[in-house]
Amino acid sequence: MIDSVFIDGISFALPLFIMAVGGIYSEKSGVTNLALEGLQGFGAFIGALVATVLSQSLLPSDSPYLMYITLLAAMVGGGVYAMLHALLCIKCKANQVISGVVINILAVALTTFLTSIANTALFDNASNKFMLAVSPRFDVPLLSQIPVIGALFKSMYPFEIIIIVLALIAWYVMYRTGYGYHLRACGENPHALDAAGGDVNRVRFIAVVVSGALSGLGGMCFAYSISTQFSPSIYMGYGYLAIAAMIFGNWNITNTLATCLLFGFAKSGSYKLCQVLGMPSNYSDLLLVLPYVLTLLLLVFFSKHNHPPKAAGEPFDKSKR
Amino acid sequence: MSENKKSAWLRFLEFVDAPKRRNVSIPVLAVLLSLIAMCIFLLLLGKDPLLAMSSFLKGCGFLPKGSYAGGKGMITDLMSFLDVLAPMLLASLGVVVAMKAGLFNIGIAGQMLASGYIATVVIGYSGLGAAAAKPLVILTGIVVGGLMGALVGFLKYRFNIHEVVSTIMINYIVSYVTGFCINTYYADMISRSSKVCSSASRLTITGVPFMGYSLDLPMGIVIALLMVFVVKYMLEKTVLGFEIRCVGANNLCSRYIGINVGRNVVTAMAFSGVLAGLAGVTYYLGYYNTIIPKDLASMGYDSIAVALLGNNSPIGTIFASILITIFQKGNVYMSSQVEVPREIASVITGILLLFSACGAFIWDYVRRRREHLEESYAESLVRTARDPSDSEPPPDVPAEGKGAAK
Amino acid sequence: MAEEYIVEMKHITKRFPGVVANDDVSVSIKKGEIYALLGENGAGKSTLMSMLFGMYEPDEGEIYVRGERVHMSSSSDAAALNIGMVHQHFKLVSNYTVAENIVLGIEPKKKLAGFLPAVDIKTANKRISELSERYGLKVDPTQKIEDVNVSVQQRVEILKMLYRDAEILIFDEPTAILTPQEIEYLLEIMQELRAGGKTIILITHKLEEIKKIADRCAILCRGKLISVLDVAATTTREMANLMVGRDVLVDIKKSEPHFGDTVLEVRDLSVRNADKFEVVKHVSFGVRAGEVFAIAGVSGNGQVELADAIAGLDRAANGSITLSGVDITHYNIRKRTLEGISYIPEDRHNVGLILDFDLKDNLSLKTYHQEPFSHKGILDGEEIEKYSDSLIDKYDIRSGQRGRTILRSMSGGNQQKVIVAREIELGNPLMIFVQPTRGLDIGAIENIHKHILAQRDAGKAILLISLELDEVMELADTIGVIYNGELLKIADASELTPQEVGKYMMGVKS
Repeated sequence: MIDSVFIDGISFALPLFIMAVGGIYSEKSGVTNLALEGLQGFGAFIGALVATVLSQSLLPSDSPYLMYITLLAAMVGGGVYAMLHALLCIKCKANQVISGVVINILAVALTTFLTSIANTALFDNASNKFMLAVSPRFDVPLLSQIPVIGALFKSMYPFEIIIIVLALIAWYVMYRTGYGYHLRACGENPHALDAAGGDVNRVRFIAVVVSGALSGLGGMCFAYSISTQFSPSIYMGYGYLAIAAMIFGNWNITNTLATCLLFGFAKSGSYKLCQVLGMPSNYSDLLLVLPYVLTLLLLVFFSKHNHPPKAAGEPFDKSKR
Repeated sequence: MSENKKSAWLRFLEFVDAPKRRNVSIPVLAVLLSLIAMCIFLLLLGKDPLLAMSSFLKGCGFLPKGSYAGGKGMITDLMSFLDVLAPMLLASLGVVVAMKAGLFNIGIAGQMLASGYIATVVIGYSGLGAAAAKPLVILTGIVVGGLMGALVGFLKYRFNIHEVVSTIMINYIVSYVTGFCINTYYADMISRSSKVCSSASRLTITGVPFMGYSLDLPMGIVIALLMVFVVKYMLEKTVLGFEIRCVGANNLCSRYIGINVGRNVVTAMAFSGVLAGLAGVTYYLGYYNTIIPKDLASMGYDSIAVALLGNNSPIGTIFASILITIFQKGNVYMSSQVEVPREIASVITGILLLFSACGAFIWDYVRRRREHLEESYAESLVRTARDPSDSEPPPDVPAEGKGAAK
Repeated sequence: MAEEYIVEMKHITKRFPGVVANDDVSVSIKKGEIYALLGENGAGKSTLMSMLFGMYEPDEGEIYVRGERVHMSSSSDAAALNIGMVHQHFKLVSNYTVAENIVLGIEPKKKLAGFLPAVDIKTANKRISELSERYGLKVDPTQKIEDVNVSVQQRVEILKMLYRDAEILIFDEPTAILTPQEIEYLLEIMQELRAGGKTIILITHKLEEIKKIADRCAILCRGKLISVLDVAATTTREMANLMVGRDVLVDIKKSEPHFGDTVLEVRDLSVRNADKFEVVKHVSFGVRAGEVFAIAGVSGNGQVELADAIAGLDRAANGSITLSGVDITHYNIRKRTLEGISYIPEDRHNVGLILDFDLKDNLSLKTYHQEPFSHKGILDGEEIEKYSDSLIDKYDIRSGQRGRTILRSMSGGNQQKVIVAREIELGNPLMIFVQPTRGLDIGAIENIHKHILAQRDAGKAILLISLELDEVMELADTIGVIYNGELLKIADASELTPQEVGKYMMGVKS
């Protein structure tokens, strides 16, 4: 019984986590990113579109390769769409909050519209949904046999493994490579990197594109795990939840993982609890409030320990010494 | 010849860049670019742009449709348009007031939902007659919205929590809590949304017979227009408005003058919340008479577009909200006439917003082109050996510094 | 011989709009020496070195490094020539360690498990330890910048240069934020560097330090090179004389002083900056009605913080401020304005005015909340416009659309007129002017000086804080010289020569 809490919790937490990692990349490089909601939606749209087109023409819809191509397409889609945010914030030096809001609004509009157009073109049916193949699930050998904790490794989606691998790579790049050093410097004092001869705008551009790619992946995973379809309901606000997780995790990848697990288990746990106690599922809605309340409380009581990147939100201006 | 052509273009740029007109030129430019983008889009899809444009207007009661159902006509469409314009206008005013203090109120949707919910449950389900219910609904909007706005302002002032973060959190808290309450206590079994509020409490008076039509009178638009002038008056003519604008324009100078920055932040956010609250009651107990659980009105985010487009001024907001509402309300009719998915309306809104956001950048590009042209024009004058005209001596220190972010 | 000069700057001229920052300046710096650039604010020292560091290009003249002509257009070009600069404002990432800051941009790389690219912090740590040993720069490479004090941060900036094999090190006013012990320590480091074959160029206004460490010293004034001296053979007095030695135009337009009661009394006032460093140290002085009390000093010695503390923009750490007998030490800024202080701040654009507002609003910034300009919270537009019109005429403020002109479109001189007009019209007994004529042309400067003297003659107490020696000598009845946060000397203006004032400004106490 408790198995399902673990399983559902992890399958919610991990896509949320990879989106939050994307947010961390962008913000730690100095670009405030409220656009995760739009980025994940757009990435999921591109992924679902590619899946639908391919399953029409090239591949049978239950081909295992289809899913991987879809996930890749979602990452590319999210990354490309993020270039818009990068352009607005870095080149046009627009206000980064407004840019994020713009990206979100535009994403909802564009994806719904283009889905209709695509469905009309392909199936002569102006539906605003793309159906996806049900994703297979598997148990990790050995690890899933461990009592209690083993539940974490049961009934996993393949994309959860992909997320874990990508997150490890993201962590490594951020904290161990030269690019990561430059990225984190840009978020604290870009003039330091500039004085050392680095290209601040280029570092930030790449970071924003990465955030788009990772968010797109997260969105696609949600599409697979929650409703096996792409529709306007992809905009559940999980992009904003990821931002809350990032803030709660103090812009640190490992802390954010813990936060996302917390949020995920809270969600699945509360749902299970309602089931067990025979309460209508509405009550689990109430507990969904918890992550947001916790983040607010954290900000109120622990604001001294909460450290957003110092230079986030400010366009880089060489002349201001 | 070519010099004349150059100077005509240059004169146009000068006209457009003149300080007085600058504030209107950018939004007009954004609108034009978006409309052009939409027309191109439609042409690519093989549809008629002019038909689309006129259909938008017909759907809102600005132009007559081909035929109408019984009791309906241009005027009923127009009334319906005004009914949905009201909350949009109020919400955008809320964004404007916050922006004047340098703050982003992204929480309009949550503030709307909270006030709409409380008004529905407390008054909409009570048996009160119209004379008591309607004013109380308005009052609820003011109080609930104002308190929520003040809370956000307080969190910023006291704990330095950025208003963008706190409003997003509060949006979802409100959404889930009200969703839960509606689903548990107040749901209508068939429609899955909340039970309808009493018509006595509703701010739209439905089914009024008039010259053979059955009109829905939008009380909300009166409130909205009134608030435009209240906001305008407050900002331009009161000490409070002046201080709020100082805080938004230059925080350092405000401290130098002796303005209590924190108090003004809370007040501005409270005022913004009041407007959002009014938007909420005119939306949920006006245009609609029910609340869909967990549904955060997209108007809450679109109002940011409207405020930007209206150049952050109360009067400009009227025009901007009319424009955006034409697209959003007219799209049902338009898509039935032109066979495009009706989401194209939101795409146009999105592109409009995009161009508004780039406004300053496009503007700088325009200005740089103008300066470049001016230089070559000046050079060409020198080359033809004319005396440079006696003009004012150049400023001794070029006005420097980037302005505060809008 | 040409070879012994590692840097030669020949006939350098650099112009900015309205000012010639460097006028035909030629300096030659020998390898392995410590070469000081001495001068007041605006002398051209920083501009000259900015060109050596690649930030600007000279309008005329040539730069030779190690005997070869060079053109530098960025700091990377300078770094390639082994030239490094320690700026006044550090460029450090506060949550990185010392080592991470030093190697930023040129991180040593290694391959983990044979193929994973990674930053080799251990190698960096080692090399930094070696460098710091060699030059006596005590640092712990693994400490975070936010955990170390300013002196260590400065050492990190120095190590940044040494790590990149800089041979020529430029220091721009390095001792401004250091305690006396830290200054001693820095001077020792410089001697170690010189012993290690490095060439040091020191931009400073502090004569004592030059005397302690420099080999030669170039004196700049108003963009021109006055003289190059052998430091050991010259006394500080001679240096100060040379620096100020031009004919100071003191056009005595001042009338005889008529001093009244003491209006401002400052006792034992101290102010701390954000790093808890005392930038104003136990200052005491008084200003009488009808007196111009000028505080002279080189930028960065605490004068702005002092003015802010008296006006109420900043809080005093201890001490008292009394205005006409009333203790205003704990009053907020608005209360102090109402009590009787007018303040013309140093930063005209960001503090004194709201550039996006129009002229009439800016003229009412301190009066809008009172009668007759507002009644019970409602502004009286007519009164505000009337007031603005009268000030525009009285002070001859040039504006395109009178009260409706947006401040941003007005010239610097006119913008300053707005602030001066607004503050004078308040009619307050104490007026504080900080750097009132910065960046203005002769006509505007004369105009403001006329106003200051007129107010003095009308019996106001005037506290003038200025970096311009000329301005001080022309206007002051009493002169105080501020150095390192202390008032080194307070005396009647008639008792002090410009040379003496200059000397005190440079920290010479005798």
